[in-house]
Amino acid sequence: MTLADLAHPRQDYSYGFLDAFARRELRRRILKAIAIPGYQVPYASRELPIARGWGTGGLQATLSVVGPQDVVKVIDQGADDSVNAANLRRFIARMTGVETTTDTTKATIIQSRHRIPEERMDKGQLLVLQVPDPEPLRHVQPDSSQAREMHADADYAQMWLSLYEQLVRFGRFMQGASYPVIVNGRYLMSPSPIPRWDTPALHQSAHLTILSAGREKRLYAVPPYTDVRPIEFSDVFFQVEDQAGRVCTLTGAGQKYMDELPQPSGESRFRISDTGYVEKLLKMAQGESTKIGPTYYDDAGQFWMPGVIK
Amino acid sequence: MAYVAARGGEQAIAAAEELHTTLNGPLSAVLVQSIERHLPYLVDRVMGEGSLYAPDLAALALAQTGGDLYEAVLLLRAYRSTQPRITYALPVRQSELRTVRRISAAFKDIPGGQILGPSLDYSHRLLRLDVLDDALSIEDRKEEPPALSIERCSMLNAPLPAVADWQRENGLLAPLPDRDPCDPSALPDVTREPISFPAPRAHRLQSLARADTGGVLALGYASMRGYGMSHPTVNELRLGYAEVTLRHPVTGVAFSAGRVRVSQAEIVDTGAGAPGDAPLRLGFTATIGWNEVKTIAGAMLDLEMSAPNPHPAHQEEFVLYHTEPVESSGFCIHYKLPHYVTFGSALDNLRKAAKTGETL
Repeated sequence: MTLADLAHPRQDYSYGFLDAFARRELRRRILKAIAIPGYQVPYASRELPIARGWGTGGLQATLSVVGPQDVVKVIDQGADDSVNAANLRRFIARMTGVETTTDTTKATIIQSRHRIPEERMDKGQLLVLQVPDPEPLRHVQPDSSQAREMHADADYAQMWLSLYEQLVRFGRFMQGASYPVIVNGRYLMSPSPIPRWDTPALHQSAHLTILSAGREKRLYAVPPYTDVRPIEFSDVFFQVEDQAGRVCTLTGAGQKYMDELPQPSGESRFRISDTGYVEKLLKMAQGESTKIGPTYYDDAGQFWMPGVIK
Repeated sequence: MAYVAARGGEQAIAAAEELHTTLNGPLSAVLVQSIERHLPYLVDRVMGEGSLYAPDLAALALAQTGGDLYEAVLLLRAYRSTQPRITYALPVRQSELRTVRRISAAFKDIPGGQILGPSLDYSHRLLRLDVLDDALSIEDRKEEPPALSIERCSMLNAPLPAVADWQRENGLLAPLPDRDPCDPSALPDVTREPISFPAPRAHRLQSLARADTGGVLALGYASMRGYGMSHPTVNELRLGYAEVTLRHPVTGVAFSAGRVRVSQAEIVDTGAGAPGDAPLRLGFTATIGWNEVKTIAGAMLDLEMSAPNPHPAHQEEFVLYHTEPVESSGFCIHYKLPHYVTFGSALDNLRKAAKTGETL
């Protein structure tokens, strides 16, 4: 017997890149985040071999929970094939050897930047959202220690005031993506820059959502079956982006979140932003067998759970 | 290897990487060694901001990125993430540094003396155009001067007392807190726990040590130029080598694991403290590698960060968050990523608001 026989084979990086201490820390913080829905839990946030601000928060969450049995899907702006999504996916696969997919229903972990898939996520699935700015109070209070006190006091008056100001000036709420929500009736939370179209998908969802900001070193969570309500007035309601009249040029489908593609003629064409969903619609159109899950919005644009969008 | 979905993006990435390599030339061990040997200040800067003392790895990072500083720092930081913390070195005392350069602007002469050391401060900044003619460099090439030895450039091996110690003895500066000997493993570590504000002093000094040189300079310069205190003085600036002293885990015997290049600066200003307080206040910054601009500007910011007046450089949170090189540069370039979903969401509002209310 030689010494080489006894030694482990050389391994340049740990499984999932992060060392055991970082992984343990993240798992503990994630558990805390799940226990206090919508509360921002600080974590050390290690640098990863991906530029900071490019999804390193989501990546750390994914890498700390992923295991050999998982199937991972990564999307950016709804697209599986964008260079950024492809890059994150190949990094996760390289460091863990997990299977990857573009099919929302087959994935056990979906890491996403700026979108929630159109097909409804189910129990047992994990959605990891990349977060650039975890602090929904930032534009009313840039000082993070003061914002923390406001959360502790549930002092969100300035948010209501800014909503009211928008209403007076523009006749509507002007918040685009990252529309702030109240989680479990307690914490104001940024749902990450998902369009308003996706915000209702977080309410009473069967899946777990982890939101993680690597640069800002905060993570938070929405456990399954938790109330997530966008802030609104009792007589003026939160509204999702209007998709009426937009028809996907690839699939002919409507009432899904559309990417607008400007045309030289001055007009616009539209394409469904969720490429995994498009892939399945196209397969079905060609008569191939595929299983499309129930979607959040039906073909008439009605959200599946009544009473969520007023 | 598992099945990999959606190949289009990956082919584009591979092609982009290949083009980058073609344009920048091949990597080689010779190139890395040459960077490490001939560009020590650049290597120092990458190590300081990367917060990892590893000259060969820093040189490799520079070679691999074609000299893109922020990319090189990120490479080193990402590598650092994979390294466990095995042990803590014993504290390094200022007076025990192998000092090669030491300047005080506060006094004409100081105990131990002023040491100009290796510096271009008083050289004429003239481009050596003759080098381009290759006439002079032939001789240089024949016999490369021996690598800088500590013994050669350190004038005195005797300990050089800190200027601040003299001021403390004379009641000009507040005495050091009596916390000796400190337990390094009990220090808050900014790489192991997130910073929150007001930050522990250890977090502040660690953040300054790994801060972006340009960022620290910009905020420090704003303070120096007119938004800050009346007249700061460089109490002491030091470049030197610090022994990394470890304790053997079994025998407990202290031994040196090597030396690292370090620099540090102390700035004093007249205090605006309560009656009975020492008349001077001290600002401090130290970093691995030799970086005079960063340590001077950082020490100045250390004094300024808790000042009451509402200039950004007077807020610890503003200074420390925005001078973090990996985070600031990463977020800046992240705007290259597609944002069409969020942009579409904003357009939805803008189009409707224009019809009903005032325009933005």
